[in-house]
Order: sequence, then structure tokens, then C-alpha cells
Amino acid sequence: MTEKKKAKLTPVLDYLKHEDPFAKGVAFCPGCGLELLLRFIPQVMGNDIVITGTPSCSAPVLLGQNNQSWHKLSYFGTLMTGAAANATGLARYYKKAGIDNTVVCFNGDGTAADIGFGNLSGAAERNEPFIYICYDNEGYMNTGVQKSGTTPYGATTTTTPFGAASKGKNLRRMNLALKMAMHKIPYAATATLSDLGDLAKKLLKAKEMKEKGFCFLHVFAPCPTGWGAAPDNTIEICRRAVKTNYFPLWEAENGKIRMTKTIKKPKPVKTYTELMKKFKFMDEEDHKILQDDVDYEYCILGGLSVLEAECQLPLPADE
Amino acid sequence: MNTKAKERSQIKVITGNAAAAIGAKLARPDVVAAYPITPQTEVIEQISSFHASGEMDCELITVEGENSAMNAVMAASLAGGRVFTASSSWGLVFMYDAILATAGARAPVVMVNVNRETPGIIAVSSGQQDMISTRDSGWIFLIAENCQEVLDLVLQAYRLAEDYDIQVPVMVHYDGFYLSYLSEVVDVPFQEDVDQFLSVLKDQPQRTTLKPGKKLGCGSHGILGGYLELRHKHVTAMERSKAKFDQIDKEYEEIFGRSYGGQIEKYKMDDADVVLVGSGSMCGTIKSVIDEKREQGIKIGLLKMRMYRPFPSEKMIAALKGKKAIGVVDRSLNFGFKGGPIYTELKSFESKLEGAKLVSFIDGIANTDITKENVGKMIDMTGDLANGKDVQEVTWVSYPEAQGGI
Ligand SMILES: Cc1ncc(C[n+]2csc(CCOP(=O)(O)OP(=O)(O)O)c2C)c(N)n1
Ligand code: SF4
Repeated sequence: MTEKKKAKLTPVLDYLKHEDPFAKGVAFCPGCGLELLLRFIPQVMGNDIVITGTPSCSAPVLLGQNNQSWHKLSYFGTLMTGAAANATGLARYYKKAGIDNTVVCFNGDGTAADIGFGNLSGAAERNEPFIYICYDNEGYMNTGVQKSGTTPYGATTTTTPFGAASKGKNLRRMNLALKMAMHKIPYAATATLSDLGDLAKKLLKAKEMKEKGFCFLHVFAPCPTGWGAAPDNTIEICRRAVKTNYFPLWEAENGKIRMTKTIKKPKPVKTYTELMKKFKFMDEEDHKILQDDVDYEYCILGGLSVLEAECQLPLPADE
Repeated sequence: MNTKAKERSQIKVITGNAAAAIGAKLARPDVVAAYPITPQTEVIEQISSFHASGEMDCELITVEGENSAMNAVMAASLAGGRVFTASSSWGLVFMYDAILATAGARAPVVMVNVNRETPGIIAVSSGQQDMISTRDSGWIFLIAENCQEVLDLVLQAYRLAEDYDIQVPVMVHYDGFYLSYLSEVVDVPFQEDVDQFLSVLKDQPQRTTLKPGKKLGCGSHGILGGYLELRHKHVTAMERSKAKFDQIDKEYEEIFGRSYGGQIEKYKMDDADVVLVGSGSMCGTIKSVIDEKREQGIKIGLLKMRMYRPFPSEKMIAALKGKKAIGVVDRSLNFGFKGGPIYTELKSFESKLEGAKLVSFIDGIANTDITKENVGKMIDMTGDLANGKDVQEVTWVSYPEAQGGI
């Protein structure tokens, strides 16, 4: 990059260079993490993005009804199954026609991790020139809080309910962001709403890196309604998710992982789970399982970042 | 078909698949996305080689599956691009949700579908069942009889799909295994003539497209009146596409010297008492049997359906009314009905056919050839019906075990 280094922006508000294109009162629940993220993206990246959205909690606002949406962005309503392929079509046509563009493919974890993962992976493999953002509320919220691939161990949802034979989800969550980084795409990162400066930097970096190809952002976005959390606790939940290493913040260029925030003394994961009713059936043993999973994932992440740094061989895609 | 030799074109011997690929190339699409499947694969191989040699200046998206192919071209089309894709059978039905969304969004996508069976048993063989599986999606369906018509229909499809008054996606169907791999003489038009034929679209008002910063969107949740309005507009656009297709066929003739009659082609129909209704590659065989039967003094003709959706009801009624008997040949099944799909649909117009009687023939499924002998049998049975004899309603021609009816 030959561009001059810009003056460093620190306070979050300095990143909000553009208008909030959304109407003031819109159909999200109080304290919804998704809403904060959705408003934040165009204020940082600009109102000239083309945003795509699926059937999901974002749909009533992002896609609107009949001929009206609740914002001033150019948008495209996709199917859950083909979101990344739709974004591919848009970005490729703009490229062919020489139209400057930032296509943001904005999806819940239900689309990103589950039903739309195939085409997400395909777009990453082909290094398509757009930005995929997954807001992770750890379940299918729009249909009434069902389990998804990113729902964590121990969480109750309406398809992993508590009962005589069940204490919630008895499987571990998949690490979607790491999977995407392993596609060796130009840019992959995690972010959350307690660290908005970090999120803003990553959005801007993605906007820059999409000139080289596919960018993936995984944003942890709590859902107070589905998680049984107080609406005014959303940011605190994010903060504790980071401080417990439940949701570590990192970025990866061409798969080379770098932590963007390291927690010196991670808190026990229980300090995170206690903020939500969805974990209320977990006993000590369950907590150990979840803690082990968090520790294991973090260890692997750290290990990978060291390995990537140590490996002297160039990535064939590197120029 | 009227053919005038055109000086400024190239005669080539090519397969139906190559004809489709060349048709797509001549239309200069901006974005092509496709995934291989027998018997369509050669189409995307050819396009890939045109792309690799620089002959085709398009974004070529080598997707990870057909669902993404349709989604990608739909979005590229709504953004303003000219697009192309191709599929068949399982690939076509793997696109199904996106096929519906493409029609709902009125994205003027053009694709070819190389017809193949699509049943519970994996059948790598002929049949139009994939066409029937996607019939109610709101697309315009055109069917080619031979390799020349494949190429011609691809070009005509762009004029129809992208016409400002239509804006409905178009699928060009041709028989897998028969036309896909059959090499025939094809008159390949010159690029400048194709450019001229398609330039009409540039002179029309331009459709609304999705561009960055334009504060426009598509894919909202349609409810109540808003939804009804869009659906109604879609249905009326499909109705308009019938006459538009006839007109495009005429304009095509002016430039390329070939005309097929638009929605339907009538072969020796005028004085015919007995008529077969068919579509696709079977029509070549039917025509040659008709010529032989005519020599024996039997007044038989063929109505070839070139447009299947919208159903060319007015043209068909006008051509068929007053005939003595009509045999409808279907290369697919219509589960829940005894007769084939086209037969069943035509049956709904029976009261307007002024006494013409209808019978259903099912043939050509799973690589059973619609042989001249089979066609002869169908003509004889329809003739018997015309002469007042008792003929069973539905006959599976290549499956004698089913004789006696269902
Ligand atoms: C193919 C398909 N299957 C099912 C649905 C029903 N559906 C609508 S929204 C939704 C959940 C979406 O979950 P996610 O992507 O995580 O978004 P969230 O609702 O959590 O915002 C589902 C399953 C659908 N729209 N499409
Ligand atoms: S259910 Fe959850 S994700 Fe959906 S709008 Fe409400 S808080 Fe937001």
C-alpha cells in the first residue's frame, strides 16, 4: 500500500464519519446487538455500500416491506441459502462494469455457519471481491431462538430445550472465524460491540483489503431476547466474552493470525455465562466442559498464530 | 421453418451444446456462472475456453454448485448485467429456490437447460422431467428442436428477457443426449449482425438497476397489496411475452433469414384432420413420419410447441380447433394425472377445440428413443380416434407392459 499513513483515530466517535442511514425507531428488540452493529457499519464504511441481507432478525429493517425499507442504503434481499453467491454476482458485475463498490454481505450465524456455509466457503475459495459480515447471535433468532452451529455447549434454545433427558445443547460450537481464516483469504477478523474502536478499524481494513479479495468479519452480537439477558447488559456481555476468552479478538491476513487484544488474566467463563438465562441449567461439570472448550480453542488459536509466524515458507498466493 | 441462405454467416458442424455456448458468446454477457452436469457440461467447457482465449470478455464465476450459479447471475442481472448460465436435471432443481427468486425479482436472466430425467432413481438419460419440475416458477420456457434452433433461441431469449415490457427470465430447453451431443449443420451468425439484433434493447427505456449509493433495493418482504401488485404485473408480463416472441421471431428473420413461427410452428397443419402436438427434438422424427404418411394420403400435421411457458393457448386453440383428433406427445410425466403434462394442460381447453378429441402419448423417457415406428403408432392411434374408434386415453408408447391403459 503506497497510501500515506493517516492520523491515528482513537475515540470511537471519530470513526463515525458518515450519516446513520437508518430510521430512528426500528423493529429490533431493546438492547439488540445486531441493531448496534447494523447502524455502525455504514457510519464507518460509508453510505455508498451495497448491503445484502437474508430472512433473519435483520430483515424487517434491512429489507423492509413491499417498496419501503427503513434506511437509505442500496440493499439486496437474498435467500438464506445463497447469500454469498448473490454478493458474488453483484461484486463481479460491478467489477466488469468498472463501478466502484463495497458489497457487504450481512448475515446471521444461521446463514453463515449453517445453511449458507457452502457458498460462503466457495466465495472465499474463489477470493471474491466483497466483505462478508456474520453477526453471531448464536442461534436462529428470527424463527424463535433455535440452535445453530455456533450455539455453545450448555445453551438452551427452543430446539435444545431443558428436559428430563436434556440440559441444552450437548455439542460444542464451531469456530466459524477460524475456519474462514483457514481459507487463507486476504482478511478475516473477529470483533464485538464492547470494543467498537477495534471493530471500526477492522471494518476499514476490510474495505481496503477487499481490493485484494474476500474479507470475512465475525462479529459477536448478543441477543437479549433469545439469550434471556437484560437489554442493558449487551455491552457487558460482549466485554466478558472477550475477557474470558470465550470470544477472543484477532485478525488474520492471508491466514496469518494476530491477536488484536490479549487478555492477561482471563476470567472464568462462568463470569460470562452468569449474565444469561440460556446457561442457567449448567452445573459445575457443564461449566468445566465449556471452560475446557474455550481454553482449547484459545490454545489452538495461539498455537496457530505462532506456527504461521515461524513458518518461513511463503504462501503461494503472496506476491 | 423458412430458411434463406445468408451470405454473411459461417456454416459449422457443431453439437447443440456448442451451439448454446456460441449463442451465449455472441450475446456478449457480462457475467457467466455455471457448474457442470451431464449432458450440459460441454456448454460450460466451451464457454471456459472462449474465456481463456480472450474471445469472451465476461466475468466467469466457477461456482461451487448450481444454487450459487443461479444466485450469482440473478444478482448480477439485477445490478444491470447481461448474464448467462446453463444446467440440467439435478443441477436445475438444486437451483430451484434461486430460480423462483430470479423470477420474483423479474431479473432478465437467460439460461439453457439441457433436458434430462430428474427422478428418485439416478437416471442419466433423456426426458423433459426437469422442465416440468420447474414449470411453475414464473420463467418463460422455450424449447428447441435442433442445434440451429438452440443457437437462434438463445439469441432470441435475450431480446425477450431483457425487453423493457417483459423483464422475465427465459430458459431455453433442448433435449439432452439427443441435441446436446448430436452434431448438426449450424449457420453461425456474425457478431455484427447479432449486435444489431440485440441493439434494439439499448434504444428502449432502461430498467431500474441496483447500484451503489443509489438508495435503491430489491428483495423486500412482499405483503398484501404490494405483493399482489407485483404478482399481477408478472402474470401480465408473461401474457405480453407471447406476442413479443412472435415479433422477435419476425425481426430475427429479417436479419438472419430464419423464422420458426414464434410461439408455435405448424407443420402441414392447414388441411390436416389429425394432428400430433410435440416439442423438442422429437419433432424432427415426427415431421419425417408425417411426410411418409402424407404419401399414403393420410392428412396429418404437427403442432410444435416452441414456447411452453406462458402456454401459447390462443395460438394452439386457433391451430387445433375443428381438427378431428389430436395426439399429444409428452416426454415427461404429470404425477397425479394419467396423461402427460402438455396433454393435461391442453385438455383444459378441450371445450374450445370444436369437437377435436385428445389422446396422450408418453414416450422418450430414460433414453427410450421416440422412433419412427413409435411415431407411426401414435399417428395410427390418433387416426383411429378421428375415425370414431375407441382409443385408450393414455399410452406409454415404449412400455408395452402398460398397454391397456392406466
Ligand atoms: C431456506 C430457508 N429455510 C428456513 C427459513 C426460515 N428462517 C427465517 S429466518 C431463520 C433464522 C435465521 O437465523 P440467522 O441467520 O442466525 O439470523 P437471526 O434470525 O439470528 O438474525 C430461518 C431458519 C428461510 N427463510 N429459508
Ligand atoms: S430477537 Fe434478538 S437478534 Fe432478534 S431483534 Fe430481538 S434482540 Fe435482536
